[in-house]
Amino acid sequence: MDFEQSADRARGSARVGNDRPKKAPVPVKIIVAGGFGVGKTTTVGAISEIAPLTTEAEMTAAAVGIDDPGQAVTKTTTTIAMDFGVLTIDQTLKLYIFGTPGQPRFAFMWDDLIKGALGALVVVDTARIDDCYPAVDYFERAGLPFVVGVNTFNGQQTYSLEEVRWALAVREDVPVLSFDARFRASVRDALLVVLDQALDKAIRAQRT
Amino acid sequence: MSYSDPDDPAPPARPSVRPFLQSGPHAAGGYRPTPGREMSPADEQTTTLRPFVITSGRTDGADPDIGMETQVTVNHAAAPVRLSPEMRAIVALCGDPLSVAEISARLRLHLGVTRILVGDLRAAGQLDVHVLDNDTPDPETIMRVIRGLRAIS
Repeated sequence: MDFEQSADRARGSARVGNDRPKKAPVPVKIIVAGGFGVGKTTTVGAISEIAPLTTEAEMTAAAVGIDDPGQAVTKTTTTIAMDFGVLTIDQTLKLYIFGTPGQPRFAFMWDDLIKGALGALVVVDTARIDDCYPAVDYFERAGLPFVVGVNTFNGQQTYSLEEVRWALAVREDVPVLSFDARFRASVRDALLVVLDQALDKAIRAQRT
Repeated sequence: MSYSDPDDPAPPARPSVRPFLQSGPHAAGGYRPTPGREMSPADEQTTTLRPFVITSGRTDGADPDIGMETQVTVNHAAAPVRLSPEMRAIVALCGDPLSVAEISARLRLHLGVTRILVGDLRAAGQLDVHVLDNDTPDPETIMRVIRGLRAIS
């Protein structure tokens, strides 16, 4: 107890040197969604100023309640790992990029995730194009601006962007582009397209 | 706001030091190590085994305002109180503004657990949680992000 108090005092005195408490920056976020192994983490890592961090969400959270302790030990719990990165725009603005699994069984956590999000980049591997259907479905329904980004990380594109657009049947105004998740400039350009969409939506919302 | 008594033996801390309990009777509500499962060293972290022990079993009730990217800072004016190790760790991290997701990642605490603990610490006055006034980003903010992104190479 004494120790804690003195630690607190030490913090307090250290603050005298600083002119004022550090103001918290405004956080904004972009979602990077897609199936397993399509390059979400690579995408996040390419643009983030820190090595991507991982946070874990517990899928059977509801089953671990105190009212039902018996469940917790027998139930197989699945942990979803979410990778995310940070990009400091300036002292007062921080961009978070969250990579999230695109499987429909994980959709339960997207409601939380997309709250306040600027938009989403749906990463597609043309070899397994159906992996991204749940994400596209979800973002369409949620009205979140999104862009389909075909990751050309293996240097080849099995299908043209027109074919991808046809397969996904996304609206005309949803951009379908190709990018390379390994290169920062390429990821940046893809995110800029997402931001364009977000800006359009924000301006439309402001007018009405 | 009530916390678990800090003088409790704190079972979440070290499941590996009491292995004999694994074969013991599992009375309801008692201490429950995960039975029948080989624990690799990585698994010995309680947070990966039974994350919601730390929240006294609460799995929901996290403040919906507390998102993954929500910024958190220490409230230096708060009176010092005894906190659980996890809560102390959170407070220690938040000298500079930090997001809930970063707290979760750095402390290797589950996101749901982190959100609940941050909410508790906010209610206890230990943390300032900087909830945004408006959920939807305004065009001006988006423009700033666009300019910032364009500036990187």
